[in-house]
Amino acid sequence: MSAALIAGVIASSISSGTSLIYATLGEIVGERAGIVNLGLEGIMLVGAATGFAVTARTGDPDVGLAAAALAGAGVNLIFAWLVVGRRANQLATGLCLMFFGAGLSALIGRPFVGTLITGLPRLRLPGLGAGAAARLASYDILVYLAAPTAVLVWWLLFRTRWGLVVRAVGEDPAVAYAAGRRPAAAQYQALALAGLLGGVAGAHLSLALTLTWAEGMTAGRGFIAIALVIFARWNPLWAIAGALLFGGAEALQLQLQAAGADVSPFLMSMIPYLLTFVVLILWGWNRQSAAPAALGRTWFGVE
Amino acid sequence: MARIPVLLAAWAALGLFAAGPAAAQDKPALTVGAIYVGSVNDYGYNRAMKDGLEEMKKAIPGLTLIEAENVPETAESERIMEGMIQQGAKLIFATSFGHQQFAFNLAKTHPDVAFEHAGGWMQAANFGNFFGATQTAWYPMGVAAGKMTRSNTLGFVVGVPIGYAIGNVNAFEMGARSVNPQAVTRVVVTGGWADKAKEAAAANALIDQGADVVTMHVDSPSTIIQVAEQRSAYSIGFQSIEARQLAPNGWLTGLGFTWGPFMTATARAVIAGTFKPAMVRQGLGQGMMGVAPFGKAVPADVRELVTASADKVAKGFNPFTGPVTDNTGAIRIKEGESWGGADMGKFDWYVEGVIGKAK
Repeated sequence: MSAALIAGVIASSISSGTSLIYATLGEIVGERAGIVNLGLEGIMLVGAATGFAVTARTGDPDVGLAAAALAGAGVNLIFAWLVVGRRANQLATGLCLMFFGAGLSALIGRPFVGTLITGLPRLRLPGLGAGAAARLASYDILVYLAAPTAVLVWWLLFRTRWGLVVRAVGEDPAVAYAAGRRPAAAQYQALALAGLLGGVAGAHLSLALTLTWAEGMTAGRGFIAIALVIFARWNPLWAIAGALLFGGAEALQLQLQAAGADVSPFLMSMIPYLLTFVVLILWGWNRQSAAPAALGRTWFGVE
Repeated sequence: MARIPVLLAAWAALGLFAAGPAAAQDKPALTVGAIYVGSVNDYGYNRAMKDGLEEMKKAIPGLTLIEAENVPETAESERIMEGMIQQGAKLIFATSFGHQQFAFNLAKTHPDVAFEHAGGWMQAANFGNFFGATQTAWYPMGVAAGKMTRSNTLGFVVGVPIGYAIGNVNAFEMGARSVNPQAVTRVVVTGGWADKAKEAAAANALIDQGADVVTMHVDSPSTIIQVAEQRSAYSIGFQSIEARQLAPNGWLTGLGFTWGPFMTATARAVIAGTFKPAMVRQGLGQGMMGVAPFGKAVPADVRELVTASADKVAKGFNPFTGPVTDNTGAIRIKEGESWGGADMGKFDWYVEGVIGKAK
């Protein structure tokens, strides 16, 4: 376990964990309002494609980032209308959203495949050369904002009146309604915020991590984020730990390969998913369920 | 009075003359279908295929080309190729390794259509296989890397560790060792031909472990080359020589495919009815592969060495001639034996000097 390997793993886990953090935060907000969004993968793809396309067109990655967030919010509002307005089944609609997002992102991104863009600028600490140490200290703005965003989301959910209403709706919409709140409005707002964060998560992949767009480039990260919500026990602060853990596992298996570990590369690539498995099993041992009580259930209103 | 038959004869002759080319323009000389596994704008594998097909189209007037991009390596590809055959395609190019079985299935049900698959081994009466003999061509790339490295560590990102890809790594390391006995190659496998985020992380991992020359066998070299450029490492490209635009400082050289001549010859054979499927593997100097232009970082003496090495390979030099030891010390190719083109898919071991596990 050399210093180079450890530094490399930490740097890589922070880079690849960032998009997972934003995606997990978005899903937490949505699930706290009682809505499971299985289409997070589609939202991330739309965010990645839109961010890339707008950046390629305008030359400004900040504009691309904003466009990605808005696109993610827009698509999630379609989901919100179906699930809250038309009371469709959340799981099925979420999966449809995933396919829709995959197709829409392919359509948006097609004319821009292969375009070279200037991505989000890296804020580098001067004087550190180009080794692993320098990589530990130079990231784009989204990485630096990830932890503060998690704190912001925690504050929104647990320290504001709006957050209280959202959580109440997620626990029991009928009671929230009886108290004079509008559950539908709260769910729409929560899902809009979730879409914003999901779009940003996708944009980080295309505007900072790889600087390209390819169909399906999220490669299942949306679903990992959904699992991480459970790992984080629906608490935004724990999302940071979960995302870093998964990002770290993925970085670790690649670093171990580069260092020459005597294990088959196929087994190595299983490491992140096995780790997720283990963590979920260990976490599930504690019977006390932290999930919002009305998660996944459609509220049909008071008749 | 005698003029009338002459005039009639002249009119008839003119009519035949005019009708001839007009009749030929009524239907295309040949309809060709092609499926790509990714986008043609990838500076890589698919771009090279597209360039070859465009060359074929230009060379044969009246040829119609139907293409489909982003065709996955699943049964979906069979459906898409079937659609092309329904549109009249008589020659299908299945350009990605994973399309093989599905194209082969269609070859059985459509014996009147010719199929050419890139990179596999299956053959039938109407199914042929073609690819560049990439393995030996990687040897001069290794020479370039071995000469330019300062840390004596080279990095290789492999998408899917099929025998052909492992053979590429082996030839690369052997080339490097031939000019730099201390050079080692570290290998990272991403598990897919086009997982961009993993490729970026893999390139970073190799550079973290000390590699200062990075190369790859994935569909598109763009992400890896960009990461190498960002971290001031040298890069050697693969699949398409256009990728050198991505690394103005770090580009050393690369290997590209020049599919045009083979594709044109195949299309002509199908039109003439003389299509004979075969297992075609052409190396450097035989028309399917070319060495990319050198980057500005490469000094003249290294350029000469690499060009000389490429010529040697083009004239038939085979680095896989015994004795060859693998990276656990066992002898894999005995003295006096050599592995030719047909054996390139059999690699499941890395040569001495490669740090990695093949399976």
